[in-house]
Amino acid sequence: MTAAAINRLGLAVFALFTLAAPWLLPLVVDGFWVDIYSEMLIWSLLAASVNLLFGYVGLLSFGQALFFGMGMYGVAIGVAKLGLGFWPAFGLGVVLATAMAAVAGALAVRLTWHYFAIITVVFSLIFYFTALSWKPLTGGDDGLSFSMPPMLALGDDWELSLTDSTVQYYFIILVVGACYALMGVILKSPLGWAFRTVRENATRASLIGLNVYLIRLTAFIAAGFIAGVAGALFAFFGRYASASYMFYHVSGEAVVWAIIGGAGTLLGPVVGTSLLIVLREELSHAWEHYLILVGVIVILVVIFAPRGLGGVWHALVRRVARAADEDAGGGDGEGRS
Amino acid sequence: MSGPILEIADVEKHFGGLAALGGVNATVESGRLTAIIGPNGAGKTTLFNVVTGILAPSAGTIRFLGRDITRSSVHEISRLGLARTLQIKSVFHGLTVRENLWIAAQSREGVFKPFANAKTCRRANEQADALLEELALTRLASQQAANLSYGDVALLEIGIALATEPKLLLLDEPICGMGPAETERTVEKIRELSKRIDIVIIEHDIEVVFDISDDIIVMALGRVLARGTPAEISENAEVRSAYLGDDDA
Ligand SMILES: Nc1ncnc2c1ncn2[C@@H]1O[C@H](COP(=O)(O)OP(=O)(O)OP(=O)(O)O)[C@@H](O)[C@H]1O
Ligand SMILES: [Mg+2]
Repeated sequence: MTAAAINRLGLAVFALFTLAAPWLLPLVVDGFWVDIYSEMLIWSLLAASVNLLFGYVGLLSFGQALFFGMGMYGVAIGVAKLGLGFWPAFGLGVVLATAMAAVAGALAVRLTWHYFAIITVVFSLIFYFTALSWKPLTGGDDGLSFSMPPMLALGDDWELSLTDSTVQYYFIILVVGACYALMGVILKSPLGWAFRTVRENATRASLIGLNVYLIRLTAFIAAGFIAGVAGALFAFFGRYASASYMFYHVSGEAVVWAIIGGAGTLLGPVVGTSLLIVLREELSHAWEHYLILVGVIVILVVIFAPRGLGGVWHALVRRVARAADEDAGGGDGEGRS
Repeated sequence: MSGPILEIADVEKHFGGLAALGGVNATVESGRLTAIIGPNGAGKTTLFNVVTGILAPSAGTIRFLGRDITRSSVHEISRLGLARTLQIKSVFHGLTVRENLWIAAQSREGVFKPFANAKTCRRANEQADALLEELALTRLASQQAANLSYGDVALLEIGIALATEPKLLLLDEPICGMGPAETERTVEKIRELSKRIDIVIIEHDIEVVFDISDDIIVMALGRVLARGTPAEISENAEVRSAYLGDDDA
């Protein structure tokens, strides 16, 4: 079996599990894990947006929660204050987040490394405090809750709404899946390869005629879009928006999820996010210092598996594929695939 | 094409109080292989940096193909057809050899194509494969650049530059650190390339320089000390005492 075939198989198992989770999880563990699982998938998008920047373009952002927050407030303000329907509110959240990323990015991507990281934190703090103090619009400390508008209504008696938990679950996995598919397509495109060259060697990239600034900005906007979709989904999921989700703690957590999952692998963030959210769910009330364990895991991963769990997976797959190759080839020197 | 492909007029570059370039005037003629020689710290690499837009000159103008590129950015200059290798070899370490060549070729087709599949970008694919063949790197195609020998990295960097289809190629000590066999192979390659691309080479190996170049520019202390054919330079008394005498006796 080739490495690509093993990866496809792994992906198929993951997809089947995700599709069947609303039936499977109540049987195996407990019904509330369905909700936790949808939450994990949403949060994994925030980690994916960190990963898109850090893993593929080499920019470490500690401010992705800002765009998550924009997506979240866009939806909540859209529904609660502007009286928008489901889709316009969803659109408002995503557009706000993406526009914010374009503005913040135009300044931030001129800088690299710690300067870049610092300015992303500064941006998210500015808007965190803005959200806290702009009470009439954002609800301030209390946040802003709203009641769910229907996605689709036919006549008076039939409507599709996220108030139905099955609809909500499948809507979430559909949107999250579409985001990963979109990132998958982009990363296989010339633009995706341009991202990697900027990560590897920005000087060389510009010497071959690539506009490094524009490439970084494009990635930043794309990452803002992904984080915005996550925030919009999360607002619908909780029927609520709150500034606390914009705080840089949240951005930092997403960085940890991305690094543990494997920066530079498409689905690493799902793994990292799931693992750490499961840890949180299982340990946080049993042991208040469970973050120590998270810290230890981060240190171990950074030292022993710098490409995270995604990198470990890929290394394993390659080894299995090579072993299978040698068994089948019987040593007649077919070489590597 | 008539006239010089590159014109450097009164170019200065100061680092604090140090004048790395103190008013350089030089031209590169099309169809001739030009070498730049000079002792360490003469300003040769700085001149390349200023020409390719990596450093902004403190004064002076630079024209490439008759166009003023003094204030152009690095990627714009590359797109006009000026490619270069760096003294400290610079490739994309985490990518494979083929990917290195592929992205350089694709840069000419445009990379802002988020929905195209890289595997189906025909021109860049063909060009990457042709360059692998031409530089005898095919056997290393799927190796990570980080795992290559020093000589192969230098060769790959030339390949990357070629993939951008330059009209003028600036090579900064391309054979430095290569073994004798590799050196010979690379020098032959450069000679062959110079038939279709204009080349400027910075090189310390005087034997190689006199062997392959049509024009030599001698730099010292941020200025052009002399220029001429290899025969003229070898007879220039000033050059002999200032440079050839103590560096290559
Ligand atoms: N970025 C920089 N900042 C400060 N000084 C610099 C910089 N780049 C070069 N210099 C200085 O400018 C002078 C010219 O350096 P340059 O690298 O151009 O010399 P070179 O002729 O290429 O020498 P070599 O043969 O050793 O490569 C040196 O004194 C060097 O220290
Ligand atoms: Mg030099």
